[in-house]
Amino acid sequence: MSAIIEIDRLSFRYPGAERDSLRNVCLTIEEGDFVAVIGGNGSGKTTLCKTLNGLVPHYWEGDFAGEVRVDGVDTYESSVASLSSTVGYVYQDFQNQLVRPRVRDEVEFGPTNFGMADYAERAQQAMEMLGIAHLADRFVWQLSGGQAHLTALASVLAMRPRIIVVDEPVAEVDPAGAHALYERLTELNQVHGITVIVIEHHAEFIAQYAKSVVLMDDGAPVWHLPAPQAAARAAELASHGIPAPQIVAACEGLDLAAAPRTVDEAAAVLRTAGARQRDSWAADAAAGSASQPTVAGTNPASTEGDTHRPVAVASAVSHGYRSVAGDLLPVLSGVDLTIRAGDRVALVGGNGAGKSTLMRLLCGLQVPRGGSVTLDGIDTKKSSATKLAEHAAYLFQRPEQMFLKDSIRADVRLFPAGRGRDEADALVDRVLDRVRLSDFADRDGRTLSGGQQRRATLAIGLAMTPSLLLADEPTASLDVASRDSVIAMLDELSGAIAAAVVATHDMHLVAEWATRVIVLGGGGVLADVTPLELFSSDSLLEGAHVVPPQITALGRALGIEPAPLSVSQWREAVALADASEPVEVRA
Amino acid sequence: MSRKTRDVLSVEWVKLELIRTAYATRGGLFAKMDPRMVISWYLILAVVPWLTHDLVTIIALFGLTAVSAALARVGPLVLGLFLIGFVTDFAYAFGAAWVFGGDHETALALVEITLKLATVSLASIAAFVSLDPEELSTGLLAWKAPELLAFGVSYGYRMMPILFEEFGTVFTGLRLRSPQGPRGFLGLRALWRWGTWAVQAFYPIFLNTAKSVRTTVESLETRGFTAAQGRNLRIAQLRIGALDVAVVAATLVAVVGAFELGALVTIA
Repeated sequence: MSAIIEIDRLSFRYPGAERDSLRNVCLTIEEGDFVAVIGGNGSGKTTLCKTLNGLVPHYWEGDFAGEVRVDGVDTYESSVASLSSTVGYVYQDFQNQLVRPRVRDEVEFGPTNFGMADYAERAQQAMEMLGIAHLADRFVWQLSGGQAHLTALASVLAMRPRIIVVDEPVAEVDPAGAHALYERLTELNQVHGITVIVIEHHAEFIAQYAKSVVLMDDGAPVWHLPAPQAAARAAELASHGIPAPQIVAACEGLDLAAAPRTVDEAAAVLRTAGARQRDSWAADAAAGSASQPTVAGTNPASTEGDTHRPVAVASAVSHGYRSVAGDLLPVLSGVDLTIRAGDRVALVGGNGAGKSTLMRLLCGLQVPRGGSVTLDGIDTKKSSATKLAEHAAYLFQRPEQMFLKDSIRADVRLFPAGRGRDEADALVDRVLDRVRLSDFADRDGRTLSGGQQRRATLAIGLAMTPSLLLADEPTASLDVASRDSVIAMLDELSGAIAAAVVATHDMHLVAEWATRVIVLGGGGVLADVTPLELFSSDSLLEGAHVVPPQITALGRALGIEPAPLSVSQWREAVALADASEPVEVRA
Repeated sequence: MSRKTRDVLSVEWVKLELIRTAYATRGGLFAKMDPRMVISWYLILAVVPWLTHDLVTIIALFGLTAVSAALARVGPLVLGLFLIGFVTDFAYAFGAAWVFGGDHETALALVEITLKLATVSLASIAAFVSLDPEELSTGLLAWKAPELLAFGVSYGYRMMPILFEEFGTVFTGLRLRSPQGPRGFLGLRALWRWGTWAVQAFYPIFLNTAKSVRTTVESLETRGFTAAQGRNLRIAQLRIGALDVAVVAATLVAVVGAFELGALVTIA
């Protein structure tokens, strides 16, 4: 192997910035490597990757010092256009990368611009390599998130680059889609010898797919190590905002020094080490002593005596949309569902299963074509969406769509002040304090970090004092730490609202927050179960297009009954056979 | 009061109609043609009405473009907007003639100009409804238009449904969360509120779009857009076939026929 990227004493400062974004970076990447670049927000990961295709310093003209050689070419002497045939770049917000109306046009765009006569052949080949040839004539806005991501990847692949950079691939697609993308990247890496560089927050993907890991901190690499060695430095990674994968934490919980890459590896290690279920676990779990919310019992609303009051009822609901061709595309048919006070519902299901549609119907934003929805005793057809907003708050998937004013405070205040609520300002202060955004109250929501933006939308929803809170993918595109803070926030807030419904692909959210999971598929409700029941049934998991959290999959692989939903439950559930356990004492 | 999901005259319908119109998904005669020939066809019909004052000729030309619009399968939204404009123009012509003390000749002169405008409008509707943005931009390229203009056309169309969707979402947010109030006389106050929200919706949209466009611009750079060596490849995709020649020839014959008819028949 030879070095394809050589970076020597590189420093870079964006124009107008007060400090360097990259500081004295020295890094070598071998051809054929699969590199994960990790590090906290603002550590310079993205800037580093943008030096590879010359966007830094040719597009972003700042103070540039040092040398970057890509495939032997000094990027400072070259140009973005000519470097782009060597380096392909897929953005985090890849939807904005798609500039042509149809998939085929999009994939042909690069080769055509560079005047390559075989552009059609290249595009076809790139689409076939990624298994999206059947989508060639689709409009790009008809694609699901995962399909759009593959299209963006195909469009850079059509240039036949030797290096592909993917910025946070997991951010905007569901876990099944993310795994599919990583499988494709692995194939490109192994079969076609393309060097792959990913910017990644999620330790489980790094452990499973990457060959080497670069840890960035404050504008410089801390180290560049082979993946197994990197994974073994769990504590160091955690201090940089990358918590260890659950399977590594599981081994650590049993004082095993192992860094398994996959659930199967972890199961094998643990079996050899003699891990088994504690005798007390089944009884503990049944008694609900686990740190998990079980059923509505833990919800403060129950003390008010209105537990199980129906908040929203859908009866025989059918709904669909018109397509561009004019046909009616059915999304839901004959759905019966009751959301009761105290419920924490997770709606899961593949793309297009009707999660968002159902939520829009439940909050009265739309009315069903067939059947009826009753919200707080009001038939949504008999009232207006503006009136129903007093009963249900719907949080859009993209937070910035909810920032209508120039500060968070004004956004939170808009509803309670406009509806003449008493002491609206006190309510706003209380809500902002609750989501810990008081210090940022006067900033525009768009300038906040991803996690703060989500919490701001939660504040907007809470200030509407609804009976029912609905949130669309509240943890999508968040790094692990922000995601955990949003889950914790949702957990704390459940007392303020009667019931909450969350549409999500995030199984950590389902495992750690939900009390009830509704699986949508085939136009109806496939199952209405607890998170544990969902994760215990292979057929349900498949129908819902979800991947259980590693810890639950590991628990099942080891025959733990019931399987743990979180690492803290794992600690309560599992012990090593030779550890001094009260089991022997009991005998 | 009872709400129901409407398939026409709703926001969703407008969005779908815009997409159908922009991408010529209904097909139609001109959608199968070479974009250069469609533009030529349009230019013929955009110019000839101004070469005559003969009302019969103008009516015949109007009939020709009306048939073309039908063959182009123009959708209800665009056709409806056209008809509203057309009818109010006529009403205005007669109203103006009457208020300013004109006689039937004044009215006829105003009708003539209205018909000419309507003819040109129908021709442009028929042509541009049939051209999808890719064809239009390639056609423009073939005629030595700058790459930037050609790309702008295509990218503008691409952004349209996205911006429309974004507008719908932000407007819904404003509608649900803003202060409500009485509807007022004839719903005027409600209408005023809606107008205010429609304007206010642009603030978040601008900021949200500005953020996303940065990625787009960088990505264009990396994909050789400014290298711009693709002009010939794109133009090579165009083919002028028998249908193109036949349609333009038939149109020319019909135009000549309209002028002949004007010479033979006289009214007023």
